[in-house]
Amino acid sequence: MAGTLTLEDIVRKTTDLPSIPSAALAVIREADRPDASAQKVAEYIAQDQSLAARVLRLANSAYFGLSRKILDHREAVVVLGMRSVRNLAMVASTYPWMIRPLKGYNLGPKQMWTHSFGTAVGAQLIAKETGKADPDAAFTAGLLHNIGKVALSIWLENKLPAMMAMAVRDDLTFDQVERKLLGFDHAEVGAYLAEEWNLPEPLVLAIRYHHHPDECVPPEPIVDCVHFGDYLTMSMGFGLGGDGLRYEFSTKALHRLAIDPEATDRLVAAFVASYEEYEKLFQDLDQAA
Amino acid sequence: MVATQLLVGMAEIQVAKEGPLFVCLGLGSCIGLAAYDPVAKVAGMVHVMLPAAFADKPVDKPGKFADTGVPHLLEQMARLGASRSRILVAMAGGAQVFNFGSGSAGKLDIGRRNADAVEAQVQALGLRCLGKDVGGNQGRTMTFDSGSGLIKVRTVTSMERALCNLKGS
Repeated sequence: MAGTLTLEDIVRKTTDLPSIPSAALAVIREADRPDASAQKVAEYIAQDQSLAARVLRLANSAYFGLSRKILDHREAVVVLGMRSVRNLAMVASTYPWMIRPLKGYNLGPKQMWTHSFGTAVGAQLIAKETGKADPDAAFTAGLLHNIGKVALSIWLENKLPAMMAMAVRDDLTFDQVERKLLGFDHAEVGAYLAEEWNLPEPLVLAIRYHHHPDECVPPEPIVDCVHFGDYLTMSMGFGLGGDGLRYEFSTKALHRLAIDPEATDRLVAAFVASYEEYEKLFQDLDQAA
Repeated sequence: MVATQLLVGMAEIQVAKEGPLFVCLGLGSCIGLAAYDPVAKVAGMVHVMLPAAFADKPVDKPGKFADTGVPHLLEQMARLGASRSRILVAMAGGAQVFNFGSGSAGKLDIGRRNADAVEAQVQALGLRCLGKDVGGNQGRTMTFDSGSGLIKVRTVTSMERALCNLKGS
């Protein structure tokens, strides 16, 4: 199979790679700058009319509960703030391809989306609760953490039962099986794509180390937030594929975030409440896609 | 005739006179508990999310917690004529991440704690459990065909399998 192929080969030969509009990538990069300008964010969104329309629809969703209608994307940036609008641009850009099924991971329609969005909401919650990372950046990192799966899926089609059998036989996590079989795992493929897109470094790190945050040296809080958000999402069964929950959780990440493990149940409850609140955003997403 | 499907979402309780197909989709660490009174022909299901309600917070949805969800399921079934002494149950779910690295899991092992908490309720309430499929690292879907009594469980990678029959046949 792909054993002799490099990561670069896989990315080059995969015809259905995930893509994010260049205008949305420019918005991410701008919003991440210390001297970020709201006006520039609005200008980048304006470069892509379809993106601007979808962002506007999301800004007017029940989630924000605004008393009056936002009429254009410039107003959305002023009213909601550029970091919120950055997240809306990411949601609008990723939703159309994240709702597709990923056969290689046995993910049905919308399941990749459900898991990615759950991790975004979870990472944002942990960043807010701990104050260790920017909650909106954590949201974007959570949303993108599994993009490598979109590229790898086609190479794993029909191999999942054998991979899970190997995991059980050799007592391995699923990403260890990916590495054994391919030489790399979905997190590395995702980080490669994120670098190709020139995403900010903390996002690349969060994607690369989301299953192994202890390997990120020096530690990066956003990585730990995404790791914990992923744990919450898997535990609540949001968008589980054939790889299920066959991953390791780092208790060291919890210590770095100064989270008391005794608080787990409260965080789970807060996470589900936050996710359900965010579902108001989805009410308009199908039209927006 | 195709049975009416009753989706039992997270933290929800559904009860009905026998007939509908109860479905708990995407159980990760959560537990689905199906219950049936063969005399009153009353069926129900709860989708439990966490082991115990918080002492300092009002319970918004009783089905969310094992210690409130299981008793509430029985109460709702009793309103339709079920009697606790006759109720038979089956449970599935309670998966969790593969391992917790080098440190102690503390309360991170929600799947195991959920399974233990639901089991404790089943025992405390004197219910007879006919089938149990808990633990592991796979998400599950649990169905309860209250017409036939059949409980089925499937994971993403495995075929659907019959767990037990709450009608005892």
